[in-house]
Amino acid sequence: MTAEAGDRRIGELRFLDPAILARLGSLELKARTVVEGFLSGLHRSPFKGFSVEFAEYRQYLPGDDLSTIDWKVYARSDRYYVKKFEEETNVDCHLLLDISASMGYGSQGVTKLRYGLMLAASLAFLMNRQRDAVALTTFDEAIVTMLPPSARASHLRSILVTLDRVTLGRRTDVSKPLHLMAEAIGKRGIVILISDLLDDPAQVVEGLRHFRFRGSDVIVFHLLDPAERTFPFKRAARFRDIESGDELMAVPSIVRQEYLDALQRAIDGYRRELGSGGIDYQLIETSTPLEFALMAYLSTRVKRR
Amino acid sequence: MFGLSFLSPLFLVGAAAAAIPIAIHLFYRRTEPVIEFAAMRYLRQAPVEESRRRRLRELLLLALRVTALVLLACAFARPYFAGAAIASGEATVVLVDTSASLSAPGHFDRVRERAAATVRAAPATHAIAVLAFANAADVIAPLSADRAGALAAIAQLKPGAGATRFRAGLERAGAELGGRQGRIVVVTDLQESGWDAATDGGVPEGVTVEIEEIDGPTANLAVTSLRVEAGEAVAVVQSFSPQAVTEQVVFTVDQRRLGAVPISLSSGGSAEARLPLGSVQRGALTAAIADREGFFADNARYAVLDGSSALSVLALTASGHPSESLYLERALTVANGPGGFRFRAIRASAFAGFDDGGQLDVIVVAGTSGLDERGRARLGAFVRAGGGLLVTVGPDVDAAIFSQALSSVVSTGWRARPAAAMSFAPADSRHPVFRPFGGVGTLGNVTFTRTVLVDASEGARVLARYTDGTPALVEERTSAGRVLVFGSDLNYRWNDFPVQPAFVPFVHEAIRYLGSPRSSRVEYQVGDLPGAQGATPGVVQLGTTQTRGRRVAVNTDPRESDPRRMTVEAFQAGISHLQAGAAIEAQAEVRRQEDAQGLWWYGLLLMVVSLAAEGILGRRLG
Repeated sequence: MTAEAGDRRIGELRFLDPAILARLGSLELKARTVVEGFLSGLHRSPFKGFSVEFAEYRQYLPGDDLSTIDWKVYARSDRYYVKKFEEETNVDCHLLLDISASMGYGSQGVTKLRYGLMLAASLAFLMNRQRDAVALTTFDEAIVTMLPPSARASHLRSILVTLDRVTLGRRTDVSKPLHLMAEAIGKRGIVILISDLLDDPAQVVEGLRHFRFRGSDVIVFHLLDPAERTFPFKRAARFRDIESGDELMAVPSIVRQEYLDALQRAIDGYRRELGSGGIDYQLIETSTPLEFALMAYLSTRVKRR
Repeated sequence: MFGLSFLSPLFLVGAAAAAIPIAIHLFYRRTEPVIEFAAMRYLRQAPVEESRRRRLRELLLLALRVTALVLLACAFARPYFAGAAIASGEATVVLVDTSASLSAPGHFDRVRERAAATVRAAPATHAIAVLAFANAADVIAPLSADRAGALAAIAQLKPGAGATRFRAGLERAGAELGGRQGRIVVVTDLQESGWDAATDGGVPEGVTVEIEEIDGPTANLAVTSLRVEAGEAVAVVQSFSPQAVTEQVVFTVDQRRLGAVPISLSSGGSAEARLPLGSVQRGALTAAIADREGFFADNARYAVLDGSSALSVLALTASGHPSESLYLERALTVANGPGGFRFRAIRASAFAGFDDGGQLDVIVVAGTSGLDERGRARLGAFVRAGGGLLVTVGPDVDAAIFSQALSSVVSTGWRARPAAAMSFAPADSRHPVFRPFGGVGTLGNVTFTRTVLVDASEGARVLARYTDGTPALVEERTSAGRVLVFGSDLNYRWNDFPVQPAFVPFVHEAIRYLGSPRSSRVEYQVGDLPGAQGATPGVVQLGTTQTRGRRVAVNTDPRESDPRRMTVEAFQAGISHLQAGAAIEAQAEVRRQEDAQGLWWYGLLLMVVSLAAEGILGRRLG
């Protein structure tokens, strides 16, 4: 399936606004809401069938992939049935969540960390549903928590509890934990980095390439707040660094374009550098429904099949 | 120290408006939003300002705004640099009255004693100055801590013959204080006439004036007038005694006794003593009495018998023929002798070589034909030297020659115009030339058949106008002399003025007015003449060019002979008036200084510069 086809498909789904989602109860409930909604929307989607284990027969419906029709059943019953499979769990998915102080920024009710938590939980839920082993690592300038990969249902609960207890960390230093993680991961798998990437781009790219070097597929979810994307401020103000506390006096009308240009250069740099290293890069605003991120993950998962 | 002062300091209250930008600055400083932001990495790549640098700019902006407002307030307050240096410390100025009213025998000893006592009693921290005053004030011991020197100077003081002029003394004393706080102690007999003369003067604010009163004689006899009248010397003696007295007036000429005339005086009355002069025509005439109890200085009066007080008038005519100045000559010769005129007419061409002996007061130009270059130059020099010039613009006077002769002196000229009958009237009847006429009077009867159109220059003054409104008589003053241009002739050719009754008084007053700067004043009062010769009564020789070596009489001011005295309270009331007057004068002086310096313009200019800089900086700050 191409990315364009996927986008069209997603466009037909109904998504939950992240701000609304954030007001729901536990992280598990949020994850379940997202994933099950997402999966029911994908009821007729070609993503069904990653697994190699037979699950059930279902009557053919227009639109189903012809390759999934069980011709033997057709020969017996003169009816079209399609075979449904459940993929065997043979992939380790590593969720790397940046919890540095800069992730605590949010201009529209949902901070980047909150969004990242929901995204990580949803991904973990989805992976667990698909019998993938899920690992979770949170980090700021160092690794804060680390849960090893497992496909058990109880492990999912551990991950969700861990995510629920996450608090903001200190300064951002993405590259150092990445290198540590790359060394720590023994089996090739899928590495998902959720971060605002407010660090030296070269260091970040080098850390991620380390994963590729170790044979893992890498997906980067670059989270940005809408205010960081548009710099909508009007009045002259003192901008205080959320991590260091340093202040800058700036007149938005004067600095806006320069800021946006600098940000765009960084995004373009990430897109170019990571793309050339075979790393999927997804720029996600925290106002974007989580399903887009899940779709991006599934796209990568399909490629691995 | 020269200090910055303000003419209208109340406007400085407007500088309080400087609090507005300060308040705005502080308000915005408090409410300036602080935005927590994460993507500072990219914001730092934009041209943002460091907080500290922006603060500095804001402070600079604030300073410029405050400066602009303060400068505006200062400009309205009209600043100026005070011209006088302000001295520090306190001082006592002892102002000793040395006028003629203290010349009675024995009185001045008391003056010296009281002045010395005042010096001794002055506070130890005060500097001391001693000034002597009568009609003017002199510093005899400048301001210093040297009390011995001050006492020695007081011991040398003697009474003079000058009149009491409190204002002059107090003003000089105030100047001697030089802005110090302190007091002026006036040692005086409080003569009532001391406030009479309208001389300038004042007492600075913050200076107290104290009186050391000296008793004086209650009776005085004075020779208050001496004149020559119909061949007799006439002396007027005034009695200021409470009882009737008899006295003898002794007349002398050049110290030769002519005779003595006994007089009887009632209480407060006066009497004339007359003595025929006989063949005596010249010399220094003195009338003296022997008043041993009253003021000494007014016991004699002086007069000069030199018969040279008539104004010397020269008429320049076309040919010099007597008929060309006939009416002028007749009008002037009726007042021959002292107080009158000495008239002579010559042809204009002879003026260059004319020897006037330095006695010429007025020149009447009735003809210019033949007036050569030297004559023209001499005419201009005559006016520049203070001479009077009457130009009667008749048929023999050429405007071109006149303007060339006086090109550097006067600018008024004239043009010919068609004959027309008209009369004239004074434009300013208070002018000395027209004062005897009391308005138009008989001048309105004069009929002119021809006139010229006089072009009065910008600085000229039109004294009379024709009935068509054009100038008839124009006066133009130079730095020393006076020029009258009459827009018609005075020899019965273009008008009937010479046969009108107004002619003679008009000519007399015009000539007297023109000759007044060089007139031969024969009597002065003590203090009128500069130097030592004006300080004592008597007959003195004036050697200046202007007075041409004349002898003049110097006498005491008759008002000084009146021994009436005022109370201390009345004197202090006079001081209050002086201080009020001094304050007004000081204010006027301040205004003149401020006008001359014009600092407010610079203030406004700086304000505009500040605002421009503020605008540029403000735009950069956003």
